[in-house]
Amino acid sequence: MIAYIARRALFALFVVAAVVTGVFALMNAVGDPAAATLGPSAGPEQLADFNKKHGLDQPLAQQFLAYLGVVRCVRPSSPRWHTDPGQRGYCGLLQGDLGESFGHQEPVGNVILTRLPRTLLLGVLALGFELLLGITFGVLAARFRNTWLDTTIMGTAFLGISLPTYVTGPIFLLVLAFWYGWFPVGGYGVDPLDHVYHALLPAFTLAIFGAATYARVMRSEMIETLRSDYIRTARAKGLSTRTVTWQHAARNALLPIVTLMGLSMTILVAGAIITETIFAWPGMGSLAIQSIYNLDAPTVMGVVLVFSVTVQAGNLLADIAVAALDPRVRLGS
Amino acid sequence: MDGRAWRRFRKNKGALWGGMLVLSVTLVAALGPLLAPHDPDQQHRETLLSGDGSPVAPWSVPGHPLGADSLGRDELSRLLHGGAVSMQVAFFATALAVLLGVVVGALSGYFLGAFDFLSMRLVDVLLSTPFLLIAIAIQRVWDDPALWTLFVLLGLLSWTTLARVTRAKTMQVRALDYIQAARALGAGRMRILLRHVLPNVLGPVIVLGTTLVAQMIIVESAMSFLGLGVQPPQASWGSMLREGQELMDDAPRLMLFPAAFIVMTVFGFNLLGEGLRDAFDPKD
Repeated sequence: MIAYIARRALFALFVVAAVVTGVFALMNAVGDPAAATLGPSAGPEQLADFNKKHGLDQPLAQQFLAYLGVVRCVRPSSPRWHTDPGQRGYCGLLQGDLGESFGHQEPVGNVILTRLPRTLLLGVLALGFELLLGITFGVLAARFRNTWLDTTIMGTAFLGISLPTYVTGPIFLLVLAFWYGWFPVGGYGVDPLDHVYHALLPAFTLAIFGAATYARVMRSEMIETLRSDYIRTARAKGLSTRTVTWQHAARNALLPIVTLMGLSMTILVAGAIITETIFAWPGMGSLAIQSIYNLDAPTVMGVVLVFSVTVQAGNLLADIAVAALDPRVRLGS
Repeated sequence: MDGRAWRRFRKNKGALWGGMLVLSVTLVAALGPLLAPHDPDQQHRETLLSGDGSPVAPWSVPGHPLGADSLGRDELSRLLHGGAVSMQVAFFATALAVLLGVVVGALSGYFLGAFDFLSMRLVDVLLSTPFLLIAIAIQRVWDDPALWTLFVLLGLLSWTTLARVTRAKTMQVRALDYIQAARALGAGRMRILLRHVLPNVLGPVIVLGTTLVAQMIIVESAMSFLGLGVQPPQASWGSMLREGQELMDDAPRLMLFPAAFIVMTVFGFNLLGEGLRDAFDPKD
């Protein structure tokens, strides 16, 4: 198992490296950050200045090595750079430095440290909604199979997987925030409790797809499980239907949900980008859109790095969790 | 589809509804630009914007049954043209993804070896990257993104699941006796692949392709919603939704019309896909 995890981790590292390299080339070679940052009124001298200041006038390979922290780099706001432009230090990924944002005039690391907890709050709340709704309704649908309850739940779930966040989000905003005023019209709030209150609607929006998917998977898994021998044994022992459903069957039917949770990181990341834009939530998703739009290469790199690591970690953790929960699963075989 | 699959499909009410939805939306998209009463990009500021600059309501101005959008453009014409754009992107992107997925999957599954190893690692990489983020970034740095760059991009990023499924099915079929027999009879590799392997992977490919159209509609609309898909003034359902959201409080219809079309289309393709899955691969 350790060998398997090591191999998977190595592959995850490879994927992250591939994505980072690809996006770096895309941002710095194909795009023109100077023009995007300074706007159309900037003259050629200003553009050249910008490029020099951020080291964009250097060969792409050298820029990349500097970003990684293998060769010395240019860092505009470091005090050393201002006092003695000739002196350069190492300031790349290897040193834990994500570089300097073009737009925010501060280290990308700091920007991300402010934004990441907000997106995590959104993600954790969304995951909570997904699991709560998905598992409950999935089990109910299986328990009352082929009744009106099952049909209603599954119909709703099917609609749920066909409702994109950019449709539900604005409609929730319109109805629940604008018309009824139950929820704030976007934004982040001022204190911790307020943050959670502001996060409820976007988190629910984000959770619809996942909840619907989990409910569907949970139902079919439960139906399968309820057929197995040990359930019949439990019933024969005289245990109540409720105990058998929730404690015996539901527990085993949860396994695929764990795998799905890991895989759903990609969906949560994509969802966060859209949902945060709709609800003006100042997290990683809206940062991603802003920085891509402004071709703020260092920030884009930082965001892509964080998102890729999240997705990889999600996949890996799901594999490990399934192996830990199900003794029949042997990793690496 | 053989006779039994077709009968199962016909009995499935959801699938029939899905098929009808898909058919009508496709018709709207295909014929929309011909039926559209006005130029979708032309602004009728005098006639279609009221004094305070807000767009006129449906039915209030003759000849413009759905009223106008925030720039005084005919809403109905934009919806019809936007549908054509959204469906075009979704269909071409899906076609490219299916082509790539089937070719890569069949070659991997049939020949195995180094090509298989490399292509499957590429699939792993693509499947575990933040898809939307990459698509947006690529679309942004493109100097003058045209419609075809969008669907080529989406197609290139989404052939992975199809390749995996095709590969698995090919490997399965390849080991069967009648393939051995065909080989013994002197059939070439290409002939075996085209005549014997391909028909067998067709079922899962049709199912996956159908749901992929729904996903492509979602992704295209998402990108246009974020302002990085179809470029203005060209209409697509996603970009109309984005423009509609700005006037949400005064004229929610501008947001709800395109939203309804997107949901209807995605719902239809998902229903159809589900029905086809049940028809090809009955479990109960």
